[in-house]
Amino acid sequence: MRIPRILRIAAVAGTAVAALAACSTAPTGGPTATTGSTDASLTADLASYPASLDPGLQYDTDSYSVYRNIFDQLLHRDPKTNKIVPWLATTWKQTDPKTWVFTLRDGVKFSDGSALTAADAAFSIQRILDPKLASQQNANFSAIASATGSGNTLTITTKYPSPTLLSYLTTLSVVPMADVQKAGNAAFNLHPVGSGPYTFVSSIPGSQVVLKRNDAWWGPKPQIAGVTFRAVPSGASRVADLKSGKADIADSMTPDSATQLTGSANLKVLSAPTERVSYLAFNTIKGGATNDPKVRQAISMAIDYKSLISNLEQGYAKPVNSVLTPLATGYPTALPGYTFDKAKAKSLIQQAGAQGKTIVMATSPTYDPQIVQSIQANIQDIGLKVSIQNTDQATYLKKVQSPTHDWGSIRFGQWSCSCLDADGVAYPLFHTGTIWSSYSNPSFDALVDKARETITPATRTGLYAQAYGILAQDLPGIGLFQIDAIYGASTKLQWTPDAQQSFFVADMKLGS
Amino acid sequence: MTRGAAAAVCRYLGSRLGQALIALFGVTTAVFFALRLSGDPAQLLAPQGASQADIAALRHQLGLDDPVWRQYLHYLGDLLHGNLGYSYVQHEPALTLITQRIPYTVNLALSALVLSAVLGIGAGMIMALNRGRWPERVLTPVVLIGQAMPAFWTGILLILVFSVTFKILPSTGFSGFDSLILPAVTLASLSAATIARITRGAVLEQLDRDYIRTARAKGAGTARLVTRHLARNVSIPILTVLALEIANLLGGSVVTELIFAWPGIGQLTVQSVDGRDFPLVQAIVILAAVVYIVVNFVTDIAYAVLDPRVTTTGKAAGA
Repeated sequence: MRIPRILRIAAVAGTAVAALAACSTAPTGGPTATTGSTDASLTADLASYPASLDPGLQYDTDSYSVYRNIFDQLLHRDPKTNKIVPWLATTWKQTDPKTWVFTLRDGVKFSDGSALTAADAAFSIQRILDPKLASQQNANFSAIASATGSGNTLTITTKYPSPTLLSYLTTLSVVPMADVQKAGNAAFNLHPVGSGPYTFVSSIPGSQVVLKRNDAWWGPKPQIAGVTFRAVPSGASRVADLKSGKADIADSMTPDSATQLTGSANLKVLSAPTERVSYLAFNTIKGGATNDPKVRQAISMAIDYKSLISNLEQGYAKPVNSVLTPLATGYPTALPGYTFDKAKAKSLIQQAGAQGKTIVMATSPTYDPQIVQSIQANIQDIGLKVSIQNTDQATYLKKVQSPTHDWGSIRFGQWSCSCLDADGVAYPLFHTGTIWSSYSNPSFDALVDKARETITPATRTGLYAQAYGILAQDLPGIGLFQIDAIYGASTKLQWTPDAQQSFFVADMKLGS
Repeated sequence: MTRGAAAAVCRYLGSRLGQALIALFGVTTAVFFALRLSGDPAQLLAPQGASQADIAALRHQLGLDDPVWRQYLHYLGDLLHGNLGYSYVQHEPALTLITQRIPYTVNLALSALVLSAVLGIGAGMIMALNRGRWPERVLTPVVLIGQAMPAFWTGILLILVFSVTFKILPSTGFSGFDSLILPAVTLASLSAATIARITRGAVLEQLDRDYIRTARAKGAGTARLVTRHLARNVSIPILTVLALEIANLLGGSVVTELIFAWPGIGQLTVQSVDGRDFPLVQAIVILAAVVYIVVNFVTDIAYAVLDPRVTTTGKAAGA
């Protein structure tokens, strides 16, 4: 008997639907069983899937947020005071200007049961410095000449006296040498083994990473038993996840989405000032009108700083007095900061003979177009014309970092060195010949060079006070505001975010 | 089948295969050079405070300081060995990263395809067979709205209704069958509208033909008319649209995957293009080209099966 075609089609379609229902893809990795504890489990929405779970490779916020819970760092910053405190290293001393000796905590074990030794810590540094790994963190540790470990003693020598070494070591996660060498880098990335408060359970690449509490951890037992990090790239979807109860906390909220959350009874906004600073940088070498310090001074008086903070950032930002945040070591507290004075700005432009001249503002879609446009409007108010040149980020970087300095006159940017130190801003942004700098002043360079190799904190602060004094005069850049990190969270979550945007789940508590 | 006809089929298939290989070579070359014109990945990958020397070192490690022609030969050599390269950003083989994502994209694409084919063909048939009557007047605006609503809007709307307000379906992510429903509906709404319009047009064109009048005169009911007489004759234009939709859907739906945090190829594409992750972008583009070529090839064969005139005239579809 011939089966009518329509029935055959229906049968095929039915099989296809059944097959679809059946082939729900299981997460890769181990079992997703929880510890059996009645304690709560946290679901956190991140803006993207961590680029790497191997702490020797990427160090973007989303990767950090996940893997720093799996690994222990050599040093730690107290989230309240931002002071460097013991973590894996319990004590440290400097035996000569270029040699540091660290004593590591006894009895720390990786989650595979092997003991964590100074050799593992030394290996963790060596592999980042090894060109073969092509680690993006290489530049953060490039001051290090060598790292050696024996027993529980780690010795680090630097190429020059380095006052920021300890800062960067708070971001160094220690990996198990034996396991990495046995598994290989690619496999370790997929199944990271650390000694931290949480251990890796499973992942769905591009979607989620599941961790559970490490009950053998040396520190105080975290309250949260397990955590699922989810990658949710759309900001509107992260808000929907919070509202529908799918997520307990969501990272990377914008000021606008934060105001959306304040209306919900069971949600709250958590925010903290970070070391990220919004700034304008001038081309003082081939910028046309902005080669003239009077024009730069006029622009510094043309910006309506208060309105930027209250209207565009909805109050999730703080004023600064330089291209640096008060969190950084070496912040020049004595500087008066910037003033908004349109009349004086106009007269400065006239004195400089620059009225009606066009300046080019280079930007990329990475930077908030609203801020760029309101700065454009502010500057046009005092008699200059501003032409915005918007290119994609790769082209923007190529232009701005070109040694020919022909990228335009002014650009808006955001800066964070993840080091809480004046050097991390002054050197890469304004020192002669660095990739971001279109400014050159030998006396400023001399002060920054000297501070780079000065260990004594008081002397360094003095040098930076002078260096930032020069920047306040010359104005190769203007600090606009200090940016807040904004999270949306369930009211059940108790947590105070910190300046480093570190997402330490061990510091969080979840009520019922 | 006669020997001559078999030879014709073989020639036909052979020439289609040859064209496919030329197309694939063109795509691999175009993507390679287009990417090299688009910016320097080393600058994007280096930390903010990196020096000129750090960036140069990174460029060297990635092999980007070689002359472009040497990079190109190297790349072609790797491709011939089946090596699609190693992601700059994620430090994993590009092929591994893609194959991890394929099941999700295939899952979503096929669900959306089945949904849109059933809804689209059904709606199109109903509209054509009820021309000028109320079913068409009701369905026409529905189809128009489906066509006009962009995925980013439909998606968020569905999330707000079904996840935030009624809390019956998960908002984002992959967590089994129920998490598939909203993204599949979002993705299907656009395709279904297109398929409905094409189906309506194709059916209307046939309804005026003599054979339909004859069939009606012989007393065939609507069901028999559709299954026995219309289906085969309207299948070619519908199949053409379906093939295009399959290829589009399998290439990964960027917007829908971003909104629903769906871990498919679409999301991976956006990330890899943003980060100028050359090997990964190349691999994704090559994969998408292969999907298009295979789908087209299969479609051509399906034409021949459904409409024997396509093979007997041989080159009609192939030339």
